[in-house]
Amino acid sequence: MRPSVEEQLLGTCRVLETVVAPAVAEPFARTILDNLIANLRMVTEALPAVPGFLRWDSAATQSLLQTLRSALPSELAGRIDAVLEVPAPDRDDSAVQTARNDLLRALLAEAVCTQDLAPELHRAIQDHMIARASRVPMRYVPTAAPPETRP
Amino acid sequence: MTARRVADGLTQLVRHTIPSARDIVFTGLSRSAGGLSRENWSFDASWSDAAGSHMHRLMLMRDASGTLLKTERRREFDVLKALEGSTVTAPAVFWMDPDGQFLGAPSLVMERVSGSCDYMVLNGTRPLEERLALARAFLQLLVNIQAADWQVRGLGPSLGVPQGSPSAIALDEWEAEYRRVQLEPHPELDYVLAWMRRTAPQAAAIVLVHGDFKPGNALIEDLHITAKLDWETAHLGDPLEDLGWITNPVRRREHQIPGHWERAQIVEAYSRLTGRVVNDAALTWWNVFSCWKLAVIQLTAVNEFVSGRYNRVFQTPAWLYRPMLQMMERAA
Repeated sequence: MRPSVEEQLLGTCRVLETVVAPAVAEPFARTILDNLIANLRMVTEALPAVPGFLRWDSAATQSLLQTLRSALPSELAGRIDAVLEVPAPDRDDSAVQTARNDLLRALLAEAVCTQDLAPELHRAIQDHMIARASRVPMRYVPTAAPPETRP
Repeated sequence: MTARRVADGLTQLVRHTIPSARDIVFTGLSRSAGGLSRENWSFDASWSDAAGSHMHRLMLMRDASGTLLKTERRREFDVLKALEGSTVTAPAVFWMDPDGQFLGAPSLVMERVSGSCDYMVLNGTRPLEERLALARAFLQLLVNIQAADWQVRGLGPSLGVPQGSPSAIALDEWEAEYRRVQLEPHPELDYVLAWMRRTAPQAAAIVLVHGDFKPGNALIEDLHITAKLDWETAHLGDPLEDLGWITNPVRRREHQIPGHWERAQIVEAYSRLTGRVVNDAALTWWNVFSCWKLAVIQLTAVNEFVSGRYNRVFQTPAWLYRPMLQMMERAA
């Protein structure tokens, strides 16, 4: 299927950079445009990695919830059990994958705030969070404006 | 907003503030590129009134339609008024449109001070000695802000005197913002928040806090800081809050000079200038808070972008998670 999604996104960046940007004289609008182009390039690069990241994250979060489960209040543990009993969704359905991931992360948000967790559980929580942060495919792209003069 | 509409709004604002004003003329009205949360317009103004003729170089700060920070123009106006005549280098403030009655959004008009703004001036192309001199000048400015007698200058009523621990108050305020803007679960931010709740320090004093102290919102001319800008998040709080902001490791390229002006040197110089003993654990707490607050500001930007009110694209601040967790581990 040509042009591919990637080709279309990169082509859009090229046209914006070479045709549109030079014609934008207003400094604020140009700053906004530069940010949008940089972000579009980032999205183009990151997009193929998103489904795999969601699957990894859901599996890792599920595993951590199982590790924490015995240290959690019974009511929260029960809700975790109920979610974990549901089979993983169709890997090709990104909307369902995202909803499942949000559900698991909402439970994790509660679980990690449980008081008096053992040090090894804190270690497991922090290891998971650092591992996840290093894999997040979407990144903010700083497009710092040049030193601004306010005469 | 177009320059024409800004000029019309300014004219109405001047007539409202100075009823005897006539022959009001604005020239050179232009918008600058900077400012994530506000539109900045520079212009020259002249008018006559009962007191005589006036000519001033001015700057209009107008809230952008989508903004990273929900702030109050009145707070900034009050702080700048209160600091006039103090040792804090800040612009004189002229007029305020707190509700956007004339300019369509909350706005402030202040003196346009000479100088340029450079986020990375401490790690730019200037010689090391100049950068060190500026770094020391920035710290002296921070110390001067903290030395400003907010009670004598009448800032208690407008900023609100903390009723309780400033760290707990700061957490309440920023957690409310976090809950308001979050679009999805963030276990990392909840985890760090729970740690901050458990370990919040007590303040050694209550001082004026700038709230976003950085080279990026100051004007510099040669080796002098000519104005500290962007006072919209100023408040009364813990002296370590601004110090925690500038020793925050994730923004060291803005605030520090590798090998010469790092956390240890900054703390040593701060202690010498103020006579305060800096509790390292408390400062680390404020470092973590600085990162967490920055994360919430980014989530605000994400929310505003998704809502169609903000025109820059931000992402979930995952890059801040590791440094926060590492600082927490070191503090344990």
